[in-house]
Amino acid sequence: MNNKIQEAADILKAVDGSNKFKGVEEPCGVLRGAQNAWDMLSEEQSQKHISTGSSDLNGILGGGIHCKEVTEIGGVPGVGKTQLGIQLAINVQIPVDYGGLGGKAVYIDTEGSFMVERAYQIAEGCISDIMEYFPYHHDKASSGQQNLQPERFLAGIYYFRICSYTEQIAVINHLEKFLGEHKDVRIVIIDSVTFHFRQDFDDLALRTRVLSGLSLKLMKLSKTYNLAVVLLNQVTTKFTEGSFQLTLALGDSWSHSSTNRLILYWKGNERCAYLDKSPSLPVASTPYAVTGKGVRDAVSSNCKRARIM
Amino acid sequence: MNEGQPPVENGGVLWSDGMDLLKDVAERKHFFPTGLEGIDTLLGGGLRKGQLTELTGQSSSGKTQACLSFASHVAARHMGVVLYLDTSNSFSPSRIARILDEIPISLIKEPKDVRLKRVMSSIICESVFDIFALFEVLDQLEVSLNDKVNNGGKKICLLIIDSISSLLAPIIGGKYSQGRSMMISVAMILKKLADKHNLSVLVTNHMVAGNGAPKPALGESWKAVPHIRLMISRDRGSNICTATILKHTLMASGRHLRFAVPG
Repeated sequence: MNNKIQEAADILKAVDGSNKFKGVEEPCGVLRGAQNAWDMLSEEQSQKHISTGSSDLNGILGGGIHCKEVTEIGGVPGVGKTQLGIQLAINVQIPVDYGGLGGKAVYIDTEGSFMVERAYQIAEGCISDIMEYFPYHHDKASSGQQNLQPERFLAGIYYFRICSYTEQIAVINHLEKFLGEHKDVRIVIIDSVTFHFRQDFDDLALRTRVLSGLSLKLMKLSKTYNLAVVLLNQVTTKFTEGSFQLTLALGDSWSHSSTNRLILYWKGNERCAYLDKSPSLPVASTPYAVTGKGVRDAVSSNCKRARIM
Repeated sequence: MNEGQPPVENGGVLWSDGMDLLKDVAERKHFFPTGLEGIDTLLGGGLRKGQLTELTGQSSSGKTQACLSFASHVAARHMGVVLYLDTSNSFSPSRIARILDEIPISLIKEPKDVRLKRVMSSIICESVFDIFALFEVLDQLEVSLNDKVNNGGKKICLLIIDSISSLLAPIIGGKYSQGRSMMISVAMILKKLADKHNLSVLVTNHMVAGNGAPKPALGESWKAVPHIRLMISRDRGSNICTATILKHTLMASGRHLRFAVPG
């Protein structure tokens, strides 16, 4: 009897061994497929980030929006959430030669606020900034020039229009297959994750369950396909400590389901961004501006030139 | 299976007396200092081997920061392996590198970059995005721990799950009870691992709005699971945290302390 158990254990071990990716490294042998922090560090350092268009904003985000992470962006209506969303959908497509990721974008629109004319404008703004920064590059590489057309940028955005929460769940479930077929997608933007979940949902406990399942799925997608997930969220008022305060919608349990959280708000007449949650970066805030060309640095801050990279 | 003597085999049934237990506690149930002094004082020395500790707190209260800090300190000081199960893509190697950079060099002369590489190689991270993946990982872990008893090598001493509640939230509640039973299975497996292999297990939990004040998520049946339940909160816009003991098997609960998370 004992012999048989031993035999079976040996067989299991042999099978296990042949399945190991890199069982050579001792501690990694503990768990198949797991990575140690040292390897992850070098991987992380070679990652490029998606620029927001404003160098101050990139500064507090540690270089821009990170791939393999879920970033939640919230703010009052009109502060520039959608603008930032469109900007990211354009900026992710900046070709590798010009310091970008050369990827594509998935834009999931639940509110109908994606304005294609505005996306065209932002693409033009982005291209004119690239031209300014790489004048030489641009003269030589005429093939690169062809890529720098606003039309090309618009063609690189896969747009989904969602009209109910059922559709929203379905699209997110379908994304896995879609992203498997479109490996060049580097960002998924959901504008906004909240809208359909704030109405016609009676059972709040069910809503919490559905949303937490949704957020785990998005986490998985961002890790598996090495892409950034950006969730735009609305604000709501919450009664705490005797006064009403603005907080992000969808409640306390949802607030745990993003890796980073950026809150956009008005300070007088200035738009500001506040990094509220991040595993690697300190809490910080900075002003930014939305101009005709898109999201840029606030002009008052040392009159810096708007930078793309 | 157990390397120590305690459970004495005696006619097929395993039992041990109080003196064996006391000896076992003195010899094997060590504390891992966490590197955050406030928390060490509160816990009477740090995370304890063989126990399940729960860290709970609001979003962005510093749970993940505490986990990253614990992982770095334990890996740096105890030459053991730390397994970090991440559910929210928030395991940040660059943050760990910065924490390690601030830990003073030990007596053994070792250049900083060599130490960094050695320590970081013994922190292993795996992403887990659903409850079934968690079961699979824990099962694999058990198999490899059983193996390790025979062939030596670096041993896992700390298991961190950040966060357990995001895996459990989609399945519990509603009219079906499978979710609840899966939650209890997870609890059983974790406690078994902690006890059998003398691991320290740390899980993080969310807070949800209760009647009035926020309370830890996962309800009453989970409340009985951890040996120690520690709540942390952070003053908005600063790095000063308050840690409160909600439950402790040895010490009085309700005590709290303030400490600063290093920037």
